[in-house]
Amino acid sequence: MKRTLFKASVICMLLGGLMISSVGFAQSDPTGKKRITSSYAITNATVFTGPGKAGVKSNILIQDGIIAGIGSNLNIPKDAKLIAGDSLFIYPGFIDGASTAGITKPKDPERPENFVSSNPPDEIAGITPWRSATDQFAMDSKVEELRKSGFTVLQIVPEGGMIAGKAAIVVLGDSKSPNLLKANTALATSFKGSRGMYPGTAAGVMAKFRDVYKNAELTKVNAEKFTASSSVKRPGINDTYVGMKDVISKSTPVMFSASSELEIRRALKLQKELGFNLILTDLENYEGVIPEMKASGAKVLVKAEVPDDKAIKAQKDDASEDVKAQYARVKEAYDKSIAQAGKLEDSGIPFAFTTAGVKTGDIGKALKTMIDNGLSETAALAALTTNPAAMMGMSREIGTIEKGKMANLVLTTDSLFKEDSQIKHVIADGYVFDYETKAKKKATEDGNATDAVKIAGNWDYTTESPAGSGGGVLAIKKDGNEYSGTISYDDPGGSGKLTAPIRDIKLDGNSLSFAFDVNAQGMAIVVEISGTIDGTSMDGTMSIGQFGSFPFEATLTPTLTAKL
Amino acid sequence: MKKINYFLAALLSLSFSFASAQTQKGSVLIKNATVLTVTKGTLQNTDVLVQDGIIKKVGTNLSAPSGVKTVDATGKYLMPGIIDAHSHVGLDVVNEATSPITSEVQMKDVVNPTEVGIYRALAGGVTISHAMHGSANVIGGQNATLKHRWGTKNPDDIIMMDAPRTIKFALGENPTRVHGRGNGIQPSSRMGVEAVIRNGFNEAIQYKKAWVDYNSASGQKGNTATAPKYNERLQTLADILDGKIIIHCHSYRADEIYMLINVARDFNITKLVFQHTNEGFKVAPEIAKYTMGASVFADWWAYKFEVYYSTAFNAAILNANGAITSINSDSAELIRHLYHEAAKTQRYGGMTDDEALAMITINPAFHLGISDLVGSIEEGKQADLVIFDTHPLSTYTVPQMTFVDGVKYFDIKEDKNDQRLTVSPTEMVEDVYLFQETERCMQDTEHLFEMTSTLFNQN
Repeated sequence: MKRTLFKASVICMLLGGLMISSVGFAQSDPTGKKRITSSYAITNATVFTGPGKAGVKSNILIQDGIIAGIGSNLNIPKDAKLIAGDSLFIYPGFIDGASTAGITKPKDPERPENFVSSNPPDEIAGITPWRSATDQFAMDSKVEELRKSGFTVLQIVPEGGMIAGKAAIVVLGDSKSPNLLKANTALATSFKGSRGMYPGTAAGVMAKFRDVYKNAELTKVNAEKFTASSSVKRPGINDTYVGMKDVISKSTPVMFSASSELEIRRALKLQKELGFNLILTDLENYEGVIPEMKASGAKVLVKAEVPDDKAIKAQKDDASEDVKAQYARVKEAYDKSIAQAGKLEDSGIPFAFTTAGVKTGDIGKALKTMIDNGLSETAALAALTTNPAAMMGMSREIGTIEKGKMANLVLTTDSLFKEDSQIKHVIADGYVFDYETKAKKKATEDGNATDAVKIAGNWDYTTESPAGSGGGVLAIKKDGNEYSGTISYDDPGGSGKLTAPIRDIKLDGNSLSFAFDVNAQGMAIVVEISGTIDGTSMDGTMSIGQFGSFPFEATLTPTLTAKL
Repeated sequence: MKKINYFLAALLSLSFSFASAQTQKGSVLIKNATVLTVTKGTLQNTDVLVQDGIIKKVGTNLSAPSGVKTVDATGKYLMPGIIDAHSHVGLDVVNEATSPITSEVQMKDVVNPTEVGIYRALAGGVTISHAMHGSANVIGGQNATLKHRWGTKNPDDIIMMDAPRTIKFALGENPTRVHGRGNGIQPSSRMGVEAVIRNGFNEAIQYKKAWVDYNSASGQKGNTATAPKYNERLQTLADILDGKIIIHCHSYRADEIYMLINVARDFNITKLVFQHTNEGFKVAPEIAKYTMGASVFADWWAYKFEVYYSTAFNAAILNANGAITSINSDSAELIRHLYHEAAKTQRYGGMTDDEALAMITINPAFHLGISDLVGSIEEGKQADLVIFDTHPLSTYTVPQMTFVDGVKYFDIKEDKNDQRLTVSPTEMVEDVYLFQETERCMQDTEHLFEMTSTLFNQN
């Protein structure tokens, strides 16, 4: 007992000293933005220390960006800011296997006067292995959006041509720091050809990649000989070789963007021939190549996205048998696509996610869809935390909630993959970011009319059809329990807009349907619209007589006219 | 339970990868057909026994070993699978049109086994096609010889691994337009085309020597030799000089055909096949003497200036002069009825049945360097076979079944409406075009002459 007390007082003294010293170095801060403390204590939260771990009520102490302690009995230093975690769930901060958030593509260099498109300089042809993502990265709103979605560490990937440059790993903490954890972590590569010059196609890119790789290997041999003995010709060292050096020595892997099965096979073919370490990224269609990916030992980054379901939703009941057979195949393709992540888990490949090219706001929904279709929650969390940490060789520093690891945490209002779970705080590198959470939606099941979905008002809508995109205004009024309204649409007979009254307006829960009549050059056509309403947005389909169904999207505009 | 599932999954995926490592081989007994062997005459009421993808026996009253299915072909005609020596079916990329020489580029890298054109070709009795690089460059990429094993998503399953390497060359208007007129570099003329080829081969000789010198020097103690730059482009040209690759050269005019014959003779190249060869009839004896022959259209010309001096008697004249001649499609549409194209040589030139059929079977097989494996119905050859309802040279004939390595990949009675191997989950009904481009030799080059494309036909 005495001993514990003594220990505690020593810790207090040490901490006190630390505080005094940091106060001692403090400079005047006219912005007032400097944080008061770098110590935080989250109390009494349900903590999931890693994938597959059960939630345990604990306190977490964070000091200088490190998890200083975790448990139910923690001595909380005086300078620690308290975060009441009673209703919160804590997970390790998410890690993005490959991200283009915050990346600005560098300007294309000017073509020299003697430019020959059949033999362009590497830099112009998109071969820039010496470039680094860190030179293209800034903490912009897209990065902040990713952090708001729970991501605390990103592997940033440079933009460019077939060999764009080196990826790097950053933590999304202090906005004033470069936040770099590791540089030269992968060589970003794709099958993108250069427009109007060599190599212009995937076939040319593959041949050129072999050329760059093999010549880097030969240059290495020559350079070693040059250093070892005299009378040896100067080796042809250039920027491309310098950029490829770590790749051919296998300390830096090649990260190939390969979205389809054929592209994955092409990347695996090059790996087999040349022997580099491979990371496959941007995977969208991969079910058929899972065994090959596994055999290759390549690391795998799946796009955190599922295909949109507009085509599925646009299916019509009164279609002919032939068309229905085609519908069935699209549906089958869709179902297979969303079940792929589960198949990948079953294969035992420890994959992670990439958010490159993904709308950040849709990531949660995509993961939910994957989980509903075979991916386990444990594997989903591992793909967001421990798997990418291991791929990056940073399992000691990130990926789980453990004493001594970096303080990267996600604090949610409910268990992570639950429908209504929201992110309240994200902690990255010990910096705390607070987000607004909305109150849970009330159930409308008990027919409580006042809480029902509001549709009255002016909606701006857009549609996509083979004729192009169209749009107009849908105005809905409420009279007692009845709805009426009008819709404006593009005049099928020419330019301008026409307006028609809408009829058969039905609101059932949050699904709305109605119809209106169009006279197109003497032909009477019934247009039917149905969709679901989520707050102030509507997502549905518009079916136009025998011409087919097309996506319909609408947003309620906050105007006053409809209140009349 | 879950553990067992994992175990099973691992086991299944393992057996799957074993299966995909080797292409499927079938066994079948085709009974009582009129067998058009092409090389050994026509055999009435004859049976053909196929075991493990190989023609085991051709004879009468053969019985099926246990487990081998029998197909009754009474009243029907059996011929060797049709071979198309010039096609672009099953390729994601056709032209790497950015340099006058791109011999390092390989069509095998960009084979797409799910392209529905492959199935359509099977429905026309075509079992092998020569998936060629386009004709934008003087020396284009290396081609792929494909076996139409429809149903796989793995490109390696349809690449004919035992076929020798081939490469595309192109003379005349296409390379001069793309590089000379389009980009202002050599070649701007037919003379420039010849210079590009000769310079290429001479550089390849120097390249090969540099490596021989380096390899012999680097074995010696205390040497100071450094490795030359690796260059697959020149290495491939050196391989042509060493006789490891068959040249397939896009050509029309007699003068340029004769030019390439002379270049080949200067560099001791004998593995040379001319493609299109519309004026081949003017230099038929030379083609017969110095090359492996010519692969021509039955009657297709006048789509640009250099293709006006043409005749439907071309194939017959070449054949009569002893040049090995094949009829090709160069088109996703013509590939569906190459037997009609072959029949035209009977109308224009009076070819015999065997001569006409040879032009779409054993002769193209010879052009691709695979005539010892396929191209005729002979014991020991690979069982690529087609059953027709009447004689394949009849206007009214319809292919009934197509076999590759003894495996049936087309059966008119089991022909599903929707043959797509891949379906997009986000597109409701995809447009299906029967006519894509009539000729794709210049595919992927459009950006190089966006302006001129409106002025000139691109074939």
